[in-house]
Amino acid sequence: MAKAVVEVDSLVKQYGKLRAVDGISFEVYEGEVFAFLGPNGAGKTTTVEILECIKPLTSGTAKVFGYDIAENSQVKEIKRRIGALPQEFSALDKLTVKENIDLIGDMYEKHLDINEVINMLDLQEKTNERFENLSGGLKQRVGVAAALISDPQMVFLDEPTTGLDPKARREVWSVIENLKKLDKTVFLTTHYMEEAQVLADRIAIIDKGKIVVIGPPQELISQHGGLKALVIRKGDKRLADILQKSYDQITLNNNGDVLVKIDNVNELWQVIATLTEMKINNEIEIQTPTIDDVFLKVVGGRISEEGELKQ
Amino acid sequence: MRSRSGLFFSILFPVLLLLVFGMIFSGVGGSSSSNIFIQNLDRTASDGKPSDLSTAYIEALNGTKLFNIKDVPPDSNASSYARDSLGPLGGNIRILIIPKDFQNQLVNGTLKIKVGISYSTLNTTFQFYTQNMTATERMLLEQGLAQMKKFYEDLPGGNASLTIMLDASDQSGSVIKNVLMSVASAFNYQMIGAENVVQFDEKPVTATRFSTVDFYVPGITAAFIMTNGIIALSATTTEFKRRGIIKRLSITPLTKMDWIVGNVLSQTLLNLMLTAIMIALGWLIFNVRIIPDALSLILIFLGSVMFSGIGMLLSGLIKDVEAASAVGNAIAFPMMFLSGAYFPMEFMPSYIQTIAKALPLTYFADGLRYAMIYKYPEGVYTNMAIVAALAVGFIIVGALVTRWKEK
Repeated sequence: MAKAVVEVDSLVKQYGKLRAVDGISFEVYEGEVFAFLGPNGAGKTTTVEILECIKPLTSGTAKVFGYDIAENSQVKEIKRRIGALPQEFSALDKLTVKENIDLIGDMYEKHLDINEVINMLDLQEKTNERFENLSGGLKQRVGVAAALISDPQMVFLDEPTTGLDPKARREVWSVIENLKKLDKTVFLTTHYMEEAQVLADRIAIIDKGKIVVIGPPQELISQHGGLKALVIRKGDKRLADILQKSYDQITLNNNGDVLVKIDNVNELWQVIATLTEMKINNEIEIQTPTIDDVFLKVVGGRISEEGELKQ
Repeated sequence: MRSRSGLFFSILFPVLLLLVFGMIFSGVGGSSSSNIFIQNLDRTASDGKPSDLSTAYIEALNGTKLFNIKDVPPDSNASSYARDSLGPLGGNIRILIIPKDFQNQLVNGTLKIKVGISYSTLNTTFQFYTQNMTATERMLLEQGLAQMKKFYEDLPGGNASLTIMLDASDQSGSVIKNVLMSVASAFNYQMIGAENVVQFDEKPVTATRFSTVDFYVPGITAAFIMTNGIIALSATTTEFKRRGIIKRLSITPLTKMDWIVGNVLSQTLLNLMLTAIMIALGWLIFNVRIIPDALSLILIFLGSVMFSGIGMLLSGLIKDVEAASAVGNAIAFPMMFLSGAYFPMEFMPSYIQTIAKALPLTYFADGLRYAMIYKYPEGVYTNMAIVAALAVGFIIVGALVTRWKEK
């Protein structure tokens, strides 16, 4: 059993009457990618900043590598072992990529060779480029490089792909996947369902300061994701009404697709037979539940591209 | 230093200011002269040429090399002529009118004075030696003196009265008036054959002869060490906070104390560079002869600490970058002009001198002057002690107000 590198028990962070973090408890194990998934304002960044020792907690306990974040004398030990990419990362505009990474590296007693880190993040061509001249994706990569320069045992990545185009997002994903291969423990926060599902070994869904569910993606899907669905592309209400007579869980989505929730293979063949009798020739596919469905089930809403919860 | 605006305000702007002040006060390129219009009404009846003595007076004024003399025709209205010559933006009008009959008045007045002096001298001598004279000698001398006295009394005498016309708003007016009167006094002495008995011998206060520019270098340097701390540091730190750079640094093992010490040291380095550049340029262009010593270097360090503390205090209290910059400017610029950094305190009203005693820059600028110019250790130590105390106070408060952890 892997060792717990983060142990949080009944953590609370209160701002006046607002409880940003409301008594959460969880553990993060060595070498895993652990994702906090939730909309904006759920308490993800607040939790991460408490664990990074840059924000005090109100009550509860939290330990990182066995060191108590509430003890000032132990905070330096934590900081030596962690790296972080804060939300909306920014660096010194007039310094180059290399200089910015070097600046962060110099804050530690020991750090990796800068060129090694630059190569790891595929930043060789931009080594001497000023930070202000970089694209959003490259800036994030510089942020990840700065998080890794100290060769940390654990890396906090707070919304690392927010605001990036799909191509840049995929690039950051591959970086995170490489971190796993380097046996780094990664604490990831995100509001992108697919990102959590693809990258994380375990996901904690958080909403309004509370952890709703926690577990490996597939486990969450099988427990909370619901049934598979047969999708009939470009169907219509008439088709949905007809199928409703025979099957309980029929929905018509905004794209005009008719979704039929099915429990097993027999049910699948029955539906196909029904469609054949009706001479329905529309394109069909099988859709498996995703973390999106889990989120919808446990939280009761979906998260928009901008990170807002829509119920 | 890669920030162009930072480079300009930290280094180039003070250099520009030094060059401007230096060019104004050093006399490089030749000293400027003041315009003055002279209307000479004292002309001979036969040919209308100016009289000899009025011409001599004008030549004496020219000899001072302080005036750019323009002649006003005798038949013109002097004010109108001067205004038309200069135009509406041509500067202040200064007019000297030499009256008609100036030479005669001058000659008559001089003659009467000379006769009077002669009579007075003879009379005094007579009174002194009268007991040694015979009655006949006494009688003859008394008759002679009486005739001389009558001659003196019958002389017409005269006062050659020059008219000076100046604009009330002319800041150089009193200086020009004094020069005209000084030349007139010298002219008077020359006419009556008198010599100065009381004379002045000017010597510099310091061991080395310093120029006006030498006095400005410590003041300008001090003022910009102040602005680097109060304006630049506070705005930069607030911007770093806004962009999350402070947050990023606080995740590393870097402590708040490391951050503060780093800022103070970087400010000190910047300010030492500034001082070196200012003195080097002053030496190259204005022949400035300042050589900073250990005391001035210590003072620069203490000043850097003091103003960094104020900068940190502002950035700790003010969240918005523009507001931090505005407040920094609102504090720095009045201090710059009221502390004696640019203008000697003696020229200011007493209530402003009182205000100046409450300004940190006053002690810093004075201390630098004592260290760099006067080489007066007691003056340095007193101001250094005050700057050191203020530095400790501001750095402590600045550190307390600086947040390293979020709330």
